[in-house]
Amino acid sequence: MNGLLTAARSKVDQAEMYWARRRRIDVLYRDYTLDRVSLDDLSSVSLRVIDDGRLGVSFGVTPDQREMIDQAKAAAAHGGRSVFDLAPAAEVADVDSFSDESSRLRSEDIVKLCEGIKELVQRRRPDISLMITARVEATTLAVETTQGACGEHRRTVTSVAFGAPVKGAGTGVYKAVSSVQPLDVPEALIEEFLEWYSWTETVSVPATGRLPVILSPEASFLFALPLCAGISGDAVARKTSPVFDRVGEIVVGDALTVRDEPLLAGSPFSRPFDDEGVPCTPRTLVEKGVLRGLLADRFSGAKLGTGSTGNGHKRELFRSGTEVPVHPWPTHLVIDPGEGTLAEMVASTENGVLLYSGMGFHSGNYPQGQFAVQGVGFHVLDGKVVGRLEGTMVAGSIYQDFLDVAVSGERREVDGLGGPVLAPYLRVGGLQVAGRP
Amino acid sequence: MKDRLRSVLARLDADYVDVRFEENQKTTIRYEGKDLRQIASYETSGGHVRAYANGGKAIASFSKVEDVAPIAESACSSARLVSKHRGTKLRLAAAPVLSDDVLLHPRRDPRTISLAEKHALVDGYNRLVLEHPMVVMSVCEYDEFASRRVFVNTEGTAIAYDLVIANVAGLIVTRSGNVVQRVRFAYGGSDEFGRLVGREDELRERVETACRLAEAEPAKAGVFPVVLDPDEAGVFIHEAFGHLSEADGLQGNPTFRERLPLGKRLGREILNVSDDPGLLEHPGGYVIDDEGVRGVKTTLIGEGVLRGRLHSRETAAEFDEPLSGNMRAVDHQFTPIVRMSNILIEPGRSTFDEMVSSIENGYYLVGAKGGQTSGDQFSFGAQWGYRIEDGRLGPMVRDINMSGELFATLKQISMVGDDLTFGERGGCGKGGGGPMQLNRKSGKGAPHVKIDAVTVGGVA
Repeated sequence: MNGLLTAARSKVDQAEMYWARRRRIDVLYRDYTLDRVSLDDLSSVSLRVIDDGRLGVSFGVTPDQREMIDQAKAAAAHGGRSVFDLAPAAEVADVDSFSDESSRLRSEDIVKLCEGIKELVQRRRPDISLMITARVEATTLAVETTQGACGEHRRTVTSVAFGAPVKGAGTGVYKAVSSVQPLDVPEALIEEFLEWYSWTETVSVPATGRLPVILSPEASFLFALPLCAGISGDAVARKTSPVFDRVGEIVVGDALTVRDEPLLAGSPFSRPFDDEGVPCTPRTLVEKGVLRGLLADRFSGAKLGTGSTGNGHKRELFRSGTEVPVHPWPTHLVIDPGEGTLAEMVASTENGVLLYSGMGFHSGNYPQGQFAVQGVGFHVLDGKVVGRLEGTMVAGSIYQDFLDVAVSGERREVDGLGGPVLAPYLRVGGLQVAGRP
Repeated sequence: MKDRLRSVLARLDADYVDVRFEENQKTTIRYEGKDLRQIASYETSGGHVRAYANGGKAIASFSKVEDVAPIAESACSSARLVSKHRGTKLRLAAAPVLSDDVLLHPRRDPRTISLAEKHALVDGYNRLVLEHPMVVMSVCEYDEFASRRVFVNTEGTAIAYDLVIANVAGLIVTRSGNVVQRVRFAYGGSDEFGRLVGREDELRERVETACRLAEAEPAKAGVFPVVLDPDEAGVFIHEAFGHLSEADGLQGNPTFRERLPLGKRLGREILNVSDDPGLLEHPGGYVIDDEGVRGVKTTLIGEGVLRGRLHSRETAAEFDEPLSGNMRAVDHQFTPIVRMSNILIEPGRSTFDEMVSSIENGYYLVGAKGGQTSGDQFSFGAQWGYRIEDGRLGPMVRDINMSGELFATLKQISMVGDDLTFGERGGCGKGGGGPMQLNRKSGKGAPHVKIDAVTVGGVA
């Protein structure tokens, strides 16, 4: 047992240590020019305690800061009554998310990857302002409790994102890829970027009305985040979720099957245990449109009487990390693929929209399944992409409008708003689109 | 600490290096409904290095002060690597050498208030919210951040300065039938604890608004004239225009930079916009930024014309424009980036009644609900709104957002109110090419503003 917990045991009833160590190299290019290299070597610790039935927490840099115990105990004196115990001992799966080769990458290696991307794009589009961010990160996460939970997980993530602002407009087109292993120059993704960028060169705004909308994997958060807010154990326990009593009922279209897959081999987002030390397990959340499962951490699991589902993560909508309180959240959301391609979805659309992002999502009423965003994407007319959107709002409800949805066979891993998602293209039959009068 | 950092810098081979080391005290108390989900009061520390060598740049964050020397040497080495791949060498605008510490001494200093008193304050507000039968959920949070920062650079600046901000903020969630609505509240936004207490009457009024909102009809989508309340107008100018005045956003985006030359007309003569870190009583106030430059008031738009921009030393050199002192980092995990301090629309001469009476068919948008911008495209929500029909306020509406294109929208601002008001809670997310930094110390102020045409997004 870590010395911090051994020391805590003599002062409080229960204690949980969360210790994250992160070494990271970031490289940033702006307008085809290497702007900077960033090196991080950071450590952070959270100590959560239950003392006399009350919860308190403290934070520090390393576990040798024993003053954290007194701080957490002092907080617990004012803390809320704990409805749960900290995690007990449990078997956790063996998840291999670490690459020695990635952990040894240097700034020079990351710069070389970026130079490869720069060369391929600049040859074809010297007129645009290419931006590249590339990263290698090696993290070690340890979660341990006085009740017996004990896990350590090492992972490496190499990632690169590249794109360019659209000339004369505010939006941009960006593509990203990540891996446990070192990355090669992503040539297919570069081709896709160049094609999508070429679609931005004219503006085409649809007339206001109810139109079919295709969501790219990057825009899947418009569906995934309202869904996760709705099946969060917190919202279900409080009965503020619109689906709190609908397990076993159809909530979205039967083309949609959504799972939490925390143990996928080779994924940089796989995790053997959550941020409370509870084992992560694969779970079906929505099966052919029917709500099957909820997300619970130890708090909401106790409130619901179900126990934790291994989904306690230090994550909120825009932030994650040691000092963020634990909330129910999927570890690695996966939307099952359907059939067909994006090209076929576009070809079958007479008048609609293809979105790859949506601005202003967080200002909508997403916990109720609704969103209203400025659409970032393209107008599709007579089966072809005819230009980029400008000033076009797209609004809808996942529980009403996503009953009519088709799912592509193509899918991609994206790490965007709210966490990692392995998502296909989704074609929604009709959403409210406010464009030309 | 200054001497320790100075001795490290003295041994480095670089054009310029600075180190910021900070000791941060934080207190959070968070209720979700009846449940006290988190209570914590603690200290953390860490540092950040920026190195420029041969015109290249590298940055590094670290946790332990004993690591500063090897980290700074690695940063210098990486800066030399960057320089080999750059044609144009990075430069820094000259800045005065500073040696006077700037430490804060508020009347009721949040750092000296007991955890018990802070807890009782939040507990009382949370109970008040939950009293109403239509309230199904609350979030009520005390958030205090106090940072003592030591900044040393190779030019001789060696200073210590404080940042202190305390807030009580939260959400009121109400239900009527199947309609669930969320309304926010926020008090404080400065280093003065006294501003957080005695706000019960305002909170009761906010709860009543949230209850009425759950019974309101949704807004209709389309293009309408709108009046924005000061909160919403503050978010509009922050999101839609303010981010474009941050010069680091224009680096590497030449087409956009060409669209924003100083002297360009952006709006009518009634429109005046400034950024002012000297307003210390508002969330974005500070004296010295995180690259050791004094913050100054900058006129961004004067009588409708673009007059100034917000800068770092690097962008000021690149743009050949004056320093503004706007480089700020949330904490040691992040490098400073160019950020607004307190951005404001200066007051005009119109009254709210004059604005409403000038509209036949439109909306009054009230209460900021967050926004987002990408270049000249913006989108943000209002917490609630009202129909405006035949020059009069009509029924309350819910689920109302607005979006548009900045340059067209600025020209559509036809009336500016005489009732400048600042929000009490800051908050702004920006990455600047790196990880997202959520900045508490970002203030917004505005009077009521009328926009002649804007796209309103509703679900109806």
